[in-house]
Amino acid sequence: MNAIETLFRRRGWPVFEFQRQAWQAYAHGHSGLIHAPTGSGKTLAAWGGPLLDSLDAAPGALSYLWITPLRALAVDTAANLNRAGADLGLDWEVALRTGDTSSAQRARLQKSPPPALVTTPESLALMLSYADSARRLGRLRAVIVDEWHELLGSKRGVLLELGLARLRALNPELKLWGLSATLGNVEQAMQVLLGPRREGTLIAGDLERRIKIDTLLPAEIERFPQAGRTGLSQLPGVLKALNQAQSTLLFTNTRSQAELWFQAIRSVVPWPEAVFLHHGSIDRSRRLAAETAVREGRARCIVATSSLDLGVDFSPVDQVIQVGSPKGVARLIQRAGRSGHRPGEISRLLCVPTHALEILEIAAARRQVERRHIEARTPLVGSLDVAAQHLVTCALGGGFEPEAMRSELRDTHAYGQLDEARWRWLLDFITRGGPALQAYPGFRRVIERDGVYRVSDRRIAAMHRMSVGTISADGHLQVKFVKGGSLGQIEERFLTRLKPGEHFIFAGRLLRLERIRDMIAYVRLGKSGRPSVPRWAGGRLPLSTLLADAMLELFAAADSDAPLPAALQALAPLLEQQARHSALPGPDRLLVEQTESRDGAHLFLFPFAGRLAHEGLAALLAWRLARDRPRSFSMTVNDYGIELVSDEPVAVDETLLRRALSPRGLEADILASLNAAEMARHRFRDIARVAGLVFQGYPGRQKRARQLQASSGLMFDMLSEHDPDNLLLVQARTEVLEAEMELSRLRRTLAHIEECRIVLRQCDRLTPLAFPIWADRLRGQLSTEDFQARVERMLARMNRPRRPPRAADEGPAGAGVRRLA
Amino acid sequence: MSTAIQLAGHAFELLPERAVYWRARRSLLLADVHLGKDQVFRRSGMAVPAGVLGTELARISRLVARTGAERLIVLGDWVHAPPDPNEDWPSEISDWRRAHRNLAMDLVLGNHDRALRDWLEAWSIKSHRSALDVDGLRLVHEWGDAAGRPGMSGHLHPGAVVKSGHERLRLPAFLLAGQHLVLPAFGRFTGLMDQTPFPTEQCWVIAGQRVLPAPLPGRSIRA
Repeated sequence: MNAIETLFRRRGWPVFEFQRQAWQAYAHGHSGLIHAPTGSGKTLAAWGGPLLDSLDAAPGALSYLWITPLRALAVDTAANLNRAGADLGLDWEVALRTGDTSSAQRARLQKSPPPALVTTPESLALMLSYADSARRLGRLRAVIVDEWHELLGSKRGVLLELGLARLRALNPELKLWGLSATLGNVEQAMQVLLGPRREGTLIAGDLERRIKIDTLLPAEIERFPQAGRTGLSQLPGVLKALNQAQSTLLFTNTRSQAELWFQAIRSVVPWPEAVFLHHGSIDRSRRLAAETAVREGRARCIVATSSLDLGVDFSPVDQVIQVGSPKGVARLIQRAGRSGHRPGEISRLLCVPTHALEILEIAAARRQVERRHIEARTPLVGSLDVAAQHLVTCALGGGFEPEAMRSELRDTHAYGQLDEARWRWLLDFITRGGPALQAYPGFRRVIERDGVYRVSDRRIAAMHRMSVGTISADGHLQVKFVKGGSLGQIEERFLTRLKPGEHFIFAGRLLRLERIRDMIAYVRLGKSGRPSVPRWAGGRLPLSTLLADAMLELFAAADSDAPLPAALQALAPLLEQQARHSALPGPDRLLVEQTESRDGAHLFLFPFAGRLAHEGLAALLAWRLARDRPRSFSMTVNDYGIELVSDEPVAVDETLLRRALSPRGLEADILASLNAAEMARHRFRDIARVAGLVFQGYPGRQKRARQLQASSGLMFDMLSEHDPDNLLLVQARTEVLEAEMELSRLRRTLAHIEECRIVLRQCDRLTPLAFPIWADRLRGQLSTEDFQARVERMLARMNRPRRPPRAADEGPAGAGVRRLA
Repeated sequence: MSTAIQLAGHAFELLPERAVYWRARRSLLLADVHLGKDQVFRRSGMAVPAGVLGTELARISRLVARTGAERLIVLGDWVHAPPDPNEDWPSEISDWRRAHRNLAMDLVLGNHDRALRDWLEAWSIKSHRSALDVDGLRLVHEWGDAAGRPGMSGHLHPGAVVKSGHERLRLPAFLLAGQHLVLPAFGRFTGLMDQTPFPTEQCWVIAGQRVLPAPLPGRSIRA
């Protein structure tokens, strides 16, 4: 029995088999991945190895690195790891180094490195950029990557893969362990972490943990559900649940929803001081206050977004409430795991649907949770922007030799297949700016001398360090009180739309904008007025394929003669309405509806492929239908389906639909149908930043960098004109198709539709499935006009007087629903 | 397709090439060319391709050829930053000037046109400290220096947002208030500002080969 087991026994804690496995594997010098739900004892499973290790041989400077994806996690993680060490009587401490760490503290860490450090992928990259990095980081015994599933599939993950490959090259004996929630592809997740050439040990923890999912049914169910609601009408039910528990974690899907729920709960409970808000844009001190309150048991309710999805290891809460659909099974399991935090306990989750069809989504999620079907996360490959950044980092961090660096890249999943041409291009990009034959005059970044690539210019070095990382910090303004005190950051786009004197809600407060100066928005506490709530970009995940499949199964079950599944009883009137006026969707069929209204002729399709793939599908379908006969469509999509509206009805039949939905020629047609150039230009924003083509400026010194400010859009135009084969442009075009319309999912959807029955219905009114799309309409337009004609038409519309608002009684027949103005 | 306006009794054409033509004086006016900006970027390790300078100069050549202009008046910011001694883009400008020997050139010095004295001589450009007065028009870099007199300026890089439904475009713009016209930046490697302190009364945007009247910038009118 080892020291940790003895300790556990003394405390009366159980030791789990998977923890014992992990400690043994570590002791044998193995690397691997531990996957288990949050709070099942993963942390100790991974940290036990280093602890035992250090009992045998006292650690030197920087022996262990613990990498966490979220700064918000780092504080708690460090505290946890320290507690474990103290319990064993160890006399060394775990230090912290993240973006929140002060520069004085960083200098201290640099001067006398601690035995163990908790850090982020970005901070690791930064550490690699210092000239003595090989000496400092070459002595690492082990690296543990926490919440690896959060990083996998993103460029941050790729950046970390590169950093780890560097560390492996510095010390081939390095032990590498990952912690992950359970994914559909855990083996691949492990291989990506360890690199393609290494064997690893996969350890599964406590998989049988039970999760109990309840749905808070609203008092009244609309037959015409509308998306985009906050669900606040469910507040009474949520209050009841809050009162029944000592502590509750309430998750919303977006930060704006979190702000609204926080306000609402605080204004009705008798204990407003025990309600806390936690999301990624809030200032660190306020985040910490919320975390401390939870730890000390002072918090009755924490309203949070995905910033708390991860393992902030705070004491278990009694219950978790999820507002809105979780959109994926993995996310639901992860969130549920925050309650009944103790190993072996049941996790309880109360789901609050914000519209009627979410009841079905929740039922679908429960079905997949029971089957333990969980989404996979696909790792990215070949992102040249991240590789370019990493090469400059290594050139700064003591320099690199090309052959050694090439084999380091081969030792990653992301660049294992990198071909000679791309490798050559990368080297040219960082040394010459562009291809050798058209060298960029006067360009200097990385310089090759005697076969070693280095950065010698101090200003370039400083600019690079300032830009390390892959998360776009683009266009964020600091929010501060006029009298001092920082509240956090909000996207520039939102703040610049407000005028001084207008009110908005942020960080749980009603604020009045005073002025914006030097990238800082100065505010005072607001008194009254109608506030707006900032909407943060992103965050709207599409419905996962697993969830969508289970939804279709449930529809099919409702369509059979068998009694309606209990979970769907509440939806019976809605399903009945849908079946009566049209038909129910299902796994074996594609439902298509045609309806006419004063807006024009509507064509609805319900492939249930998620919002992103639907955007691609809508554009594709509109383009193919307009190819036969020129016309204009406006398009709207949601997670369930798409809508095309045209002035004249389109005479569709099965043959026409089959042709328009054929997977053949998909890529060519989708490129032609979308304004692909414009989308790629937008996509280029992040790529240009990561690759170092644009510089965001020195923090707090915006003005001095002005001479170097150029938008990525401008850079995109310049490159397209003067260096059209630039591989970063190619990357932008490829990324746009996958990231913005899930091209591979769209391809699978079309292939599936080929096998399906097409159920085409003419409807005399909007059906319950069609209504939410219609209410959300006019998202995009497809036309084949040229640029000038387009601007002229837009100007003509802008100059036309506004139409009077519509009368309130024009809702869909039979429904007492107001139409959106 | 250009648009005609009058300032202090003179007729001007607003050209889609981001310039103004004064037919009666055979003069071409443009502002904010920012030559050498790409070089400043490359110097700092940002990989902007070569060729930006050549393209910009060629745009001026085409415009001169098309209009038959005999005089070029630049309303400031001809260059982005003073050249480094080892850079050769200034001599590219010299070559271009030799090819346009008969084109007279005036530059109202802008805030970016610093430490250029020797080069201005080499390029045979006549410089003007804060204003150039021609036929009752005051030509300046920053509109404040026109002191309320009829004239033209640059500096603001004006742009305007055109939006309708889902679509949103940001286009270079000419702004007019009273008898003063602000020109869009001629250089294409420059940004656009859709919020300016200029008290715009009329606005035209450049869309492809046309100059079209547009709603005032900063006031968001939606269709």
